[in-house]
Amino acid sequence: MKTKYIIGICLLVIITGAGIGLKMFFKPHADISKINTDFKVEASNLIDEFQKNENTATTKYSEKVLEISGKLVNKNKLENGTEVLVLEDEMQGISCQLDSTWAKSNSTDIQKLETGQPIKMKGICKGYLMEIKVSPAIVIK
Amino acid sequence: MKQLLFVLILLGVSVGAFSQGKYISKNAYISFYSSTPMEDILGESNEAVTILNGETGEIAFQALMTTFHFKRALMEEHFNENYMESTKFPKAKFTGKIEGFTKEMLKNPAVEVKVTGTLSIHGVDKTIALPIKLGMENGKLIGTTKFKVTPEDYGITIPSLVRDKIAKQMEVTVKAEYQPYKS
Repeated sequence: MKTKYIIGICLLVIITGAGIGLKMFFKPHADISKINTDFKVEASNLIDEFQKNENTATTKYSEKVLEISGKLVNKNKLENGTEVLVLEDEMQGISCQLDSTWAKSNSTDIQKLETGQPIKMKGICKGYLMEIKVSPAIVIK
Repeated sequence: MKQLLFVLILLGVSVGAFSQGKYISKNAYISFYSSTPMEDILGESNEAVTILNGETGEIAFQALMTTFHFKRALMEEHFNENYMESTKFPKAKFTGKIEGFTKEMLKNPAVEVKVTGTLSIHGVDKTIALPIKLGMENGKLIGTTKFKVTPEDYGITIPSLVRDKIAKQMEVTVKAEYQPYKS
């Protein structure tokens, strides 16, 4: 009776352990549309912060979810099909690579976007390389 | 007089626009690939930035570690937190110079050139020589390279428990489409 009980517990532990392990292993990538925003910022202010002190801004924003309002200045498509939206300044602005799944289901809306128009993006800030890199990102307005 | 001034300003602006023959790629591709019988791991980024000086043949390349994207979210987490320590060392960098550089190299069809320079990963600098294919392809100035990197050379320790799953050497692939730099 006692051994049965022990075996039962062992099995339970193993199964839960394996379950947790598998869940971690197959953990999906974050769904941008569902995760909480950490910071709501104006594009120009964000650029100022990075240009004034890259290290401080990187510590503050890297891997954080941002909602950025700004002006769309460039729209292009990379060789692998990734859509890139650039905010504020073509060379030293904010470069947002759109989430590929989101971009696929919203392609008509993306096509309608025109350079010069105000735009609001949500995405994960990756840091600063001449421009601020945000990916993956989605358009929210 | 005013018109002359205007013309002069315009001239100044247009000269500045091609700031001394520099070329840039803001969305350069970089990947690293580790292959073992146990598991294949591919990390890719389309967000590397590289500048090529068309006067001197100097190349600068930088990539943010956090922009590498993997098939599984867990791989990305391990890559950034356990191996690259991306918060401490957010960027991988390469600066180098093309050997025997001539300006014609940027106009002719792509050929292999040798670039010697410093590769900095995980806060460790190493002098390396890279074979880079550089030149015109379908009307675009393209630079590509493929080389091997040993994690241990850059102070990246891989626990023995997972050593079998990660290749001794990673294959790094880079592709950049350069455009004239406008500033």
